[in-house]
Amino acid sequence: MKLSKQYHGRTIIGFFAITIIISLISGTAWAKLEHGKVICRIETDRSVLPAGDSQTTILKITLDAPAAPVNVKRPAVNLSLVLDQSGSMNGTKIEKAKAAAIEALTRLGLQDIFSVVVYDTNVHTIVPAQNAGNIQGIINTIRQIRAGGSTALFGGVSQGAAEIRKNLENDFVHRIMLLSDGLANVGPRMPDDLGRLGAALIKENISVTTIGVGTDYNEDLMAQLAQKSDGNIYFVESGIDLPRIFAAELGDVLNVVAKKVKITITLPDNIKPVNIIGREGRIRGNKIELYMNQLYGNQEKYALIEVNLPESKSGAKIKIARADVDYENPFTQKQERSSAVSYASFSSNPKKVAKSTNIDVVREYQLNLNALSQEKAIELSDKGKKQEAVKELKQSAARLKQIGTMYQDKELLQKADEQEVQSDMIESEGMSKKSRKILRTKSYQMKNQQLSQ
Amino acid sequence: MKTKRSIIVFWALFLMPTLIIAGIAFKLLSHEQERINQSAINALSQRAEAISQTIHITIETIQDNLKQSLFDIDQNDLAATLLRWEGTNPLVRNVFIYKNQGLEYPVKGMESTLEERRFITRYDALFSGRVKFDFNIAPSKISAKELQKLKGLTGSYPDSVKYDAIEKKQTISSRQKLVALSKAIQKAPGSAQQDLAFKGPEQKLINKSEWIPWFSENRLHILGWVQKIEKGPVYGIELELMTLLSRLIVDFPKITEPGTALVLIDGNGNFMHQFGTMVVDPEAKPVEVISISSLLPHWRIAVFIDDKGFASTKGFLYISTILLAIFIAAIISGGILLTRLTLSNMKDARQKTSFVSSVSHELKTPLTSIRMYAELLLSKRVKNEDKIQTYLSTIVNESGRLTRLINNVLDFGKLEQGSKKYQLENVEIDRFLEQIIKTHSIRIKNQDLEIKTLIEKGDYRVKTDRDAMEQVVLNLLDNALKYADQGKFIEFVLKKEDVFIVLKICDDGPGIPKEHQHRIFDKFHRIDNSLTSQQPGSGLGLSIAQQIMKDLGGDISFEPLSPNGTCFIIRIKDHDAD
Repeated sequence: MKLSKQYHGRTIIGFFAITIIISLISGTAWAKLEHGKVICRIETDRSVLPAGDSQTTILKITLDAPAAPVNVKRPAVNLSLVLDQSGSMNGTKIEKAKAAAIEALTRLGLQDIFSVVVYDTNVHTIVPAQNAGNIQGIINTIRQIRAGGSTALFGGVSQGAAEIRKNLENDFVHRIMLLSDGLANVGPRMPDDLGRLGAALIKENISVTTIGVGTDYNEDLMAQLAQKSDGNIYFVESGIDLPRIFAAELGDVLNVVAKKVKITITLPDNIKPVNIIGREGRIRGNKIELYMNQLYGNQEKYALIEVNLPESKSGAKIKIARADVDYENPFTQKQERSSAVSYASFSSNPKKVAKSTNIDVVREYQLNLNALSQEKAIELSDKGKKQEAVKELKQSAARLKQIGTMYQDKELLQKADEQEVQSDMIESEGMSKKSRKILRTKSYQMKNQQLSQ
Repeated sequence: MKTKRSIIVFWALFLMPTLIIAGIAFKLLSHEQERINQSAINALSQRAEAISQTIHITIETIQDNLKQSLFDIDQNDLAATLLRWEGTNPLVRNVFIYKNQGLEYPVKGMESTLEERRFITRYDALFSGRVKFDFNIAPSKISAKELQKLKGLTGSYPDSVKYDAIEKKQTISSRQKLVALSKAIQKAPGSAQQDLAFKGPEQKLINKSEWIPWFSENRLHILGWVQKIEKGPVYGIELELMTLLSRLIVDFPKITEPGTALVLIDGNGNFMHQFGTMVVDPEAKPVEVISISSLLPHWRIAVFIDDKGFASTKGFLYISTILLAIFIAAIISGGILLTRLTLSNMKDARQKTSFVSSVSHELKTPLTSIRMYAELLLSKRVKNEDKIQTYLSTIVNESGRLTRLINNVLDFGKLEQGSKKYQLENVEIDRFLEQIIKTHSIRIKNQDLEIKTLIEKGDYRVKTDRDAMEQVVLNLLDNALKYADQGKFIEFVLKKEDVFIVLKICDDGPGIPKEHQHRIFDKFHRIDNSLTSQQPGSGLGLSIAQQIMKDLGGDISFEPLSPNGTCFIIRIKDHDAD
């Protein structure tokens, strides 16, 4: 309790710097800040809640990242490519990976730092961290990469991180891009272990984006590493897509508009947090804390929180949450804060309540629940319970369809159809490597609102 | 034969120790190779030990630093400091505060993260009080000396040493950065005073601490706890093992020698890191295993080396073995050569002895006849003219025989020394042959042998040594008369084949036994059987004939005559034809 009080005190101290615009009419809190700042919003699934007994409602805390300012030098990037050069990469994969790496390099500027680490049985730093200006020398080195050997994935990421650390103190956007097509067979290989490595790297503001090629890599391991370090995750079936993926990822990395983003949601004493949907966060008393390493320009990221509201009378209006977003502006290297407060009103008129439904919140909530169902289906399938996995997916699809039909939401209906097709396929053919990878990747991308796919 | 056997026995006796010495030498070489291989393994093992010591020292230093940092935390700001540390320090996986027999942080239930819930479950035995925190610490372990040491450490790590500051040094190694992480806790300003204020006069400073290697779900975790004040909170951290590993492995030296590898293995036998390019089979048995540290129980470094790894050291064995083989081969071949020479000399000596005896006998027989008939004639007791003629004829014949024998012996000496000189002249071989047949027809007919002559038409004029040719033909004729006197004929055939004139002298005697056919031209060789033992001879005739023919550019060979008999074939070469 002492802990939460201390944090609460600190949050209050920071309020003086923030401009807050509250929209009471819509039930949505807006925090319009000066141009170029992250906008924080809190929305509920319904702006008018049914009066009466205590109830659970959904809070959607949205961060609207601004577009990167024009005529301002973008934040420098400290990028380390960690490429699998094990024997299985031989052929198109390694050639496309090299082409993609060279393409990525050419998009970097003089202010950026670039390094390349390759791994097979051992790990080799073929391009030590250096200014991205010496393009030709680096390109020649990349072209000499040859595939062969085992897969020391942990060692590769560790070496990539070591290269990043050479410039850790500077105001760079730190990013490791890991590419692998096979099972790690040298070094730690449990998804939890790589997750712990990711969790350690995020403390140094290093994110790891993982790119899985083919159907033989361990998607759980790659997902854990990306998730714990707040990186992106990609799955490509063949090496042909690699240049596109590299470009997409680099598009994100070169478009960072906020770093070290910390969201603190403070609930009044009579409102209790129930659950955080999709994201990892910490609930401390009436405070919920979430962390994101980076926000990209024009990106919308959000967190979904289930909260329990107390008994309320019809016509009552109460404050239900306050959100504070602290982040580092990479253009000014200054700490900034954005806040929002949300209020809810109660009514005993069911029509009024139904009419106030915020379909955006409902949709994202359902899609996130669906992502969790996909993960549960993977777990069930791994345990040999294929039918239960199919049932889980179908039930989730049915729920999406029901809500999609209720609110005439095309996105939910489309997602429901896609999931039905996929569950039918799994029912007839079993959980193939490809299906498992698609489910794992999609659920992660949904939960993290990954922009580039 | 006895001597021959003794030489072979001697040779065998000589060979045995040679082979024994060779065996011992090879064994010594193998041992030497093993020693060299072992030194290669030792060199790798030393590197493994160096790595293991580095890991131990690093972890020990980190743990000491962290322990000291934990002691340095302001007790009034304990939770906030620990949480800040957990949120920013990659070495810290989880933090906890245990107070009044219960876990104050993390809180069980919804308020903790998934990781924290797992952490609570992992250390449930400690946090539920079933196991005391100091279960593996001896009471005497916290000594005044350690307290003094801890105080000393406090002084050695000023507040200015902070993670961020240390990161600015780009040249420092990852391991040093790792150690720096352990010093990274930030002390709030004025905390020392607050600390003193917190510690009331009734609170006793005990500074208890311990690092616990903890196994949960068959995996190693490391928990560090401290208790600064008696009955005060027990608090601490769980080390992030993956950070330790990730930071340590990038600093280790690379192993580039082919066929060698050092593998860092955890308690479950999983390969955590590999140094070296060798492809290591997880089931392969290492040549050496080195425990890393008591701080990482059951972790070890396994040393692997395969044939490629030993290849560089095997050159010694290869070269030494080749030298040894050459040495042994030289000894054995030398021995064989000496033995053969000895046996050959012995055989020659035997043949020479036999030769002298034969020649003596050969000389004595005609001399006895000549002397006997000469004495009879001298005594004038023989009055019959016919008898006198017969005696004189015998004397002449025996003298001729004696002359031929002496000529053979003299020629043999010259031929052996290569000093025989040939007088080349034009010889018409057909007339030459007819002359010889005519001269010796009486001798042939006296032995009831028919003379067959087959001379094809042609020009048989060649340039050769007439006397030498005559000696050859007479040697063959003598042989035929000696050995084929039981036959019916002697046949002379003369014809031309290419540049050679071929002269065949055949008989229908008993022929030459097969086992002797390949040796009949050897000097001193005689077919020592019942037939020949009755016949005189030196064993030189055929050997001389062959040598003469070779000297004259021709040849002499032998072929059996069917159904019985022997043919000697002389190929005469015309010296002008060259």
